[in-house]
Amino acid sequence: MIVFDKKLLHNTFLFTEAKRLNDQGFISKEQLHEIKQQLPMLTSHENLLVRIGFFILGCLLFSSLIGVISLFIIGLAGSHFAVITFFYTLLGILASEFLARRQRQYGYGLDDAFILGFQGFFCATIGVAFESPLATFIAAAFIGLVACIRYVHTLSLLLSLIGITGSICYAILKLKIVASSFLPFILLLLAISFYCIFTKITKTYKFNYYTKSILLLQGFSLLLGYFSMNYLVVRELSESLLELTIAKGEDIPFAFLFYGFTFLVPVFYMFFSLYSKDKLMLYIGFLTFGFSIFTFRFYYSVLPIEAALLSGGALLFVVAYFAIRKLRDKETGITLKPAKGTKTDLLTNLEAFVIATQVDLKPMESQSKMPFGGGGFSGGGAGESF
Amino acid sequence: MATKFNSFTDELFNKEFITDYQAESIKKYDALNFFSLHYELRFLLYLAVLLFTSGIGALIYKNIDSIGHVAVLCLLLLLIGIGFYFSFKKAKGFSKDEVLFDNPVFDYIVLLCTILTCVFIGYLQYQYQVFGYVLSSLLCSLVGFFCAYYFDNKSALSIGIAGLATFIGISISPKALFENEIFNNPSLIYYGIAMGGLMLLWTEYSERISLKKHFHLMFLTFALHLIGICTIAALLNIYWYIFIFLLALIVFYFYKISYQTGSFFLFVFSLFYGYIAFNIVLFKLINFINFWQFLTILTPFYLIGSIFGFIKLIKHFNKNKS
Repeated sequence: MIVFDKKLLHNTFLFTEAKRLNDQGFISKEQLHEIKQQLPMLTSHENLLVRIGFFILGCLLFSSLIGVISLFIIGLAGSHFAVITFFYTLLGILASEFLARRQRQYGYGLDDAFILGFQGFFCATIGVAFESPLATFIAAAFIGLVACIRYVHTLSLLLSLIGITGSICYAILKLKIVASSFLPFILLLLAISFYCIFTKITKTYKFNYYTKSILLLQGFSLLLGYFSMNYLVVRELSESLLELTIAKGEDIPFAFLFYGFTFLVPVFYMFFSLYSKDKLMLYIGFLTFGFSIFTFRFYYSVLPIEAALLSGGALLFVVAYFAIRKLRDKETGITLKPAKGTKTDLLTNLEAFVIATQVDLKPMESQSKMPFGGGGFSGGGAGESF
Repeated sequence: MATKFNSFTDELFNKEFITDYQAESIKKYDALNFFSLHYELRFLLYLAVLLFTSGIGALIYKNIDSIGHVAVLCLLLLLIGIGFYFSFKKAKGFSKDEVLFDNPVFDYIVLLCTILTCVFIGYLQYQYQVFGYVLSSLLCSLVGFFCAYYFDNKSALSIGIAGLATFIGISISPKALFENEIFNNPSLIYYGIAMGGLMLLWTEYSERISLKKHFHLMFLTFALHLIGICTIAALLNIYWYIFIFLLALIVFYFYKISYQTGSFFLFVFSLFYGYIAFNIVLFKLINFINFWQFLTILTPFYLIGSIFGFIKLIKHFNKNKS
């Protein structure tokens, strides 16, 4: 199923692993160099900027190829746009195959342009031919998964996941296969099943070329699980999509349930991630908790903003302080010691740059008409969401 | 991402790319079951400081006329006093090298106290005009620099630099940048370039006497952005041709520096400013010789060429940085 030469792909992953070991200080640079010399590999770009550069070049190349082909076939096809986009899809597939097989490109940048391009054109073909959003969503789900597996391409999986979620939403909201008010629960079920697939895959496969794709699957399922049951999302979407009008003093059905989930899900994520030692889940838990506070403040502003900021800041400080005290002397498990291979000064540098943009030291002129507050510290980009 | 001893590691070991000893140490490390919350907790503290100081700012802003001034000042002073008391007690004293607190919490207490001191100074200035409009930001900047060098705190350093920039009239915030503050005020250009130059000199000097070498990246970054933005603003003003040489010099200097320090960030931004300036000059040239009719044909080639150029330079950088 995979398009690449198996051995070369395998070597590429071996080298990635060796690089990780080098970053963590287990093996020397000479060893890394030797591994690179001895293993023939696929050509790829580690550096994201280089990859983006080649991606832009690839897009230009693809569009100019399309331009040339259009000159020939536009007269033949006339107004049958589906035929034209179908030709583009074929062209994209051919080019992707050529780049992967002959040029041995994997994560190179050029190939990304063609792989994503042909998927877009495929969806467009189906969309134009059937004139139905459901068909387009299903096509996206299908082609994304195929491309992800065949080209070991992570971003394609995102297209596929969006396709699956989109088709379910469309089927429920427009085709009404079940009552629309059940949509949040069905999406939650979908998220749970995504997560089950994720755990199943991580346990089963030994040599895994799809670690990044699987991580994407996990992240998507966690976010989908949270947002499908978030009170703000459910309420606003049911007002705009289901044309539900909520009178003053009334609430959406099952409101208490959504409120409960809005706060319980992030808390569950955070605690479970500490238990299972899962960074991605921890981050998502943290971010979603921030969004939960935003959700609550969106409807009930119980505290004035300065009191909320002050108490939030103080609370956060106390929590972090006690966590640090507890973890300070631990050597194993959850600990305060930086893990091997992490860049130590990245965060401090970033914090320092951000603070310079947040703190406005310009003194206010006291004669001005507006009674601007003293000291002119107008900071805190994080604002009320956390 | 796989972060544990996995089948790929195993195969590297079987193919004898990794020695027995190394494999053993990897396994030992994995057995510790490390889950580091170092950066996460530091980030929480940082966020707490940002929230808290924003809260204080908002509190003062909203209630400037209702709470007593003396009460606010006393409260601030009390907070600052307590914070600095503990920080001084725990600090290991000034050193030319990097010294860290045993407990990272104190880094953030120092930061909090620095910001609160700035708020205090600003308030004093607003209410009683003690220092004068300009002097207060200089005072903030001095506090920032002192905390930075004494407690070894990069965030305080950045407040110090921002305060200095405010002192000469430039505010370092994305908002001010978008409002074209510098472009509208030509005299700021010269101040900005002078301050950037001073920062570069200071960096060179402290490199010689090896004073807080880990601060250099901060100084260099601020200097690069300050000079870069100011010279580009200058290129759009009257005496633009003088600044071409200055900018070329600066870009070349930072290009060299980024290779020395191995900082990808500096490298990309020096290329970025250089490229913008090059385009400005190119357009002036095209306008001068009236070459517009070929522009539509040549633009795609120029675009592709410049992307290729960037890729080549970045690859070269990754290969050769120290």
